[in-house]
Amino acid sequence: MENSLFSKPRDLFLDVVNPRDYVQIDSVSHMYQSLKNSVQKPLKMILLFGKPGTGKSMLLHKLHHDLSKHQKVLMFDIPIVDEDDFLRVLAQRIFGHSPREVMTLTRFLEIAEAVSYPDVPIVLLDEAQLYSSSLMEKIRLISDARAIKFVITLHKTDKEDVIAKEHFQTRIWESIELQNASAEELKVYVQKKLLKANCFDVANMFNDKNMKLITSLTKGNYRDTNKLLFSLFSLYYWYEQNHPTLIKYNALKSKWIEMAAIHTGLIRA
Amino acid sequence: MLDIRNLERRWLKYKIKSYAPYIGAVFLLLISLTVALSLSHDSDAPKTAMAKEPLESSAKTTVPKSDETQDILEPSMDFVQSFQTSLPQTPIAAASTAQNTKPLQQSIPATKVLNVPESPSIKAPPPAISPLSGDKSLSLNRNESKIDIESVERRFKETSNSNLGLFIARYHYDHGNYSEAYNFSLKTNNLNNKIDESWIIFAKSLVKLGRVEQAKKTLQLYISDSNSESARSLLDSIEQGSFK
Repeated sequence: MENSLFSKPRDLFLDVVNPRDYVQIDSVSHMYQSLKNSVQKPLKMILLFGKPGTGKSMLLHKLHHDLSKHQKVLMFDIPIVDEDDFLRVLAQRIFGHSPREVMTLTRFLEIAEAVSYPDVPIVLLDEAQLYSSSLMEKIRLISDARAIKFVITLHKTDKEDVIAKEHFQTRIWESIELQNASAEELKVYVQKKLLKANCFDVANMFNDKNMKLITSLTKGNYRDTNKLLFSLFSLYYWYEQNHPTLIKYNALKSKWIEMAAIHTGLIRA
Repeated sequence: MLDIRNLERRWLKYKIKSYAPYIGAVFLLLISLTVALSLSHDSDAPKTAMAKEPLESSAKTTVPKSDETQDILEPSMDFVQSFQTSLPQTPIAAASTAQNTKPLQQSIPATKVLNVPESPSIKAPPPAISPLSGDKSLSLNRNESKIDIESVERRFKETSNSNLGLFIARYHYDHGNYSEAYNFSLKTNNLNNKIDESWIIFAKSLVKLGRVEQAKKTLQLYISDSNSESARSLLDSIEQGSFK
């Protein structure tokens, strides 16, 4: 199993958000630089939105990874839906205060006012569409008081657009939209990821035809691409173990790409 | 864990589904082509039927004609038989009837003609040409003979052939033109005085012209010179008054 050519590439495409796996692509790099610049500005809120799988969480994690070296940054990748818990966690992890009494908004703002930082602390909220309207209203009030700067991510749906309008539209000073990748961007993403892990042989198996097929199946969605390639390399791994003569190392088999798409649900068959 | 067999089966199903629209399109195209071809054939069919109809109708119309020809064939058979019997007596009439029967005999196979039984529905053949009814057949050929006899007379003038002179004299005598018969028989006798028939025509023409005595005298002179039996019998009949 350790001699397998495809086990390592397979594990690379596990759908896990890890800032170390961040792959620098031109368009994404531009987005990330914009995000970093926005964070440096005296903005109350920054909205990062896009369809699921366009890389919002990855950017947020990358931002957290980079900013945490210089300033106070708190990341909420799993939403805390209870208002009291949310405020209590914020008070404890940003301002180091653990009140025994019930945490109200007024009390939280008193604690924030008592503690002063050279830079405004940043809180990153992933999957903000899961927060209640009441809690989102409190987040708005906290950002208005300039106690905390929030960077939030939202799925781009009709419903979530409504939420964005209701709670953030008048207050957000910067919004960044992420989109699906093109075939070229996806090829760069896949090959950079493989080369970064020293999977040169496997990276060379991807030709333009393969990438067109993969892009047409995943529509350039990074999450779907990761899932597809994980299934694909699982297939290759199986054939490598059972029918190694069937593997051609100069290109990926379209049939196996489609079989992987069937397995991941991208093709209904 | 991947179920490769199941995946391959699902992939095959997927490929069949994905190609189904193209297969369907090709199938529809083939059907439309065949329908179009059949429609075009149908549209051509009336034309061919129309084209065939006249043929069929003409074929139908020819059937009674063949029946008619069969009806005609029966008498033609008898006619040939009658022609054969009358041939030596009336050569001119026989020739004309032979010309008339030729196309009929060509159009009908000989075996058919011979095997056709006589039926009561078939009309009786016209009466066979007999020596008695020879006048009618001669009168029919007269106009044609006029043209012919003029050419023969022209040839006679050019060649002075006694045989042609005899032929012309005989012709005019048969046609009642006794003065011309007299003239040509006289010319023939001058060219050749040993032709028995020319002297007889000469004598007969004289009798017909009312010059009986000159006829008798001429015959007597000729009999004395040639001892012709036919001239003698003619002289006897003139003297007895049986030839007028």
